[in-house]
Amino acid sequence: MHIPDGFLATPVWAALDIAAAPAVGYMARRAQRGFDDAKAPLLGVMGAFVFAAQMINFPVGVGASDHLVGGALLAYTLGPAAASVTMTAILAIQALVFQDGGILALGANTVNMAILGVLAGYLPFYLWGQGRGRKAAIFAGGALSALVCAVMAVSELLLSGVRVSMSILSVSAAVFLVSAILEGAITLAVIEALENIQPGFVKKPGEGRSFALGAAALAALVLSTVGVLFASTAPDGLAWLSEKAGVSSRAKSLVATPLADYQAQFLPAGWHAKALAGLAGLAAVYAACIAIGRLVARKRSA
Amino acid sequence: MHHIVLDRWSRGGTAFHQLDPRAKIVPLLVLLIALATAQRGLAAFSCAALALIVAALLTARIPIAAAFARAAIVLPFTLVFALTCWLSGDLARGEAMAVKSYVSALAVLTVVATTPLPSLLRGLELLRIPSFLLTVTQFVYRYLFVISEEGQHMSKAAAARGAAERHWFSPSAFRAAAGALGVLFARSYGRAAGIHDAMLARGFHGHIHTLSRLRFRARDAAFASAVSLAVVALRLALERIA
Repeated sequence: MHIPDGFLATPVWAALDIAAAPAVGYMARRAQRGFDDAKAPLLGVMGAFVFAAQMINFPVGVGASDHLVGGALLAYTLGPAAASVTMTAILAIQALVFQDGGILALGANTVNMAILGVLAGYLPFYLWGQGRGRKAAIFAGGALSALVCAVMAVSELLLSGVRVSMSILSVSAAVFLVSAILEGAITLAVIEALENIQPGFVKKPGEGRSFALGAAALAALVLSTVGVLFASTAPDGLAWLSEKAGVSSRAKSLVATPLADYQAQFLPAGWHAKALAGLAGLAAVYAACIAIGRLVARKRSA
Repeated sequence: MHHIVLDRWSRGGTAFHQLDPRAKIVPLLVLLIALATAQRGLAAFSCAALALIVAALLTARIPIAAAFARAAIVLPFTLVFALTCWLSGDLARGEAMAVKSYVSALAVLTVVATTPLPSLLRGLELLRIPSFLLTVTQFVYRYLFVISEEGQHMSKAAAARGAAERHWFSPSAFRAAAGALGVLFARSYGRAAGIHDAMLARGFHGHIHTLSRLRFRARDAAFASAVSLAVVALRLALERIA
């Protein structure tokens, strides 16, 4: 599910863009560290494979077919960091060339599918990927990956104030559940086929094992759970929040954030405030990205 | 394949094509943000944005009807949500979502259709997006068509061997599809190793070099600032009127 531009409220897409930039930067450095420079062509070609995999349909029932999404499969074969980078590259191509997903919403889509989706898919494999529960772990990883993507996307839409009636929400929850189970089944079947071809394709979960990544995977899971809880308890999402905080009624809130609701409060509330706030927000995102990048680079070289 | 047309459009030789990619990326971001944050006067501003986009398409000599049709890819998904909003009694939001997503997609399409993807990615690299990510993106794009065609060949070959597409669940058909995907994976993996060896033989050391160096000239700066300012001014003026 690729969110297009114009769907999310400004605070939601802006926050997720800000969150995605350092996360992807971290993943890119991790993916590079694990391998030599051979990685770029390998990741690129495997990204192209995930695209092509959509052409092979799996018969799944009466008149329907489904295809692989691929986040979990890539995590098991390339490692989670490399899988994240590959998924991000795929999302960028989909947004640029296929108009599938927006540019401002790229941060949201990246967080959903390339970061949290991949990490949530990797978590069961990381924990139980060896020994007797292996098959179950692979299945659960595929299912969890698809489920986390869907839940995150829906929570973001709900947070943005898109009103969805309870009946539609429950129908789509059922659809998500079925497609998550299918993703798990397809991932497991493909992994088994791969192991028949050449056992070395699937990495052992111990390889490149690191506490940080496990913790990040756990955090991904927790975050998405919190996301859905938050979204379901706050019926009109941010609209409700902003009403509570007194933003919409223009009452002075206690904590005046400089870019609240993307309207610069230090400027006269008027026709140019929003535009200036937008540009200032963009500049802030940009500056934050460069600053974090520099900081990490300095730490690494030191 | 249908997206090759975008690649062909992007290799035109008009003045709009020859602008530095950064001179198109920056106004694009300004337009997208202006559109995403617009509330009052959204209809008027969308029309103004459409006028700007049409002007750009005309200058770049890109068939307008075809571009509008291509951007309509977003509509099925968007309209479902618009309908959901409408059913939930929030028609205005549904309309806004449909309009914003369509015009945004058209704006992105205009820039991508007038800038070859390698130089677009190079422009993004100069705007400090991690180069490793962009190199991977470049490879995804380059081998997209190759691997997709390989997948098509495989499914055609399977059909020729009598693998009828079954519409009910059967474990054997499911396993066959998984096997095909496994083979495609193994082939792609092997191809990647071959590609890397060939690149090493030609002196690749982790970074793709382009023959032409991008130069941000005065006219690029003038174009970028003029369009960005025009977008902001239009947005503000139309909001005031509304």
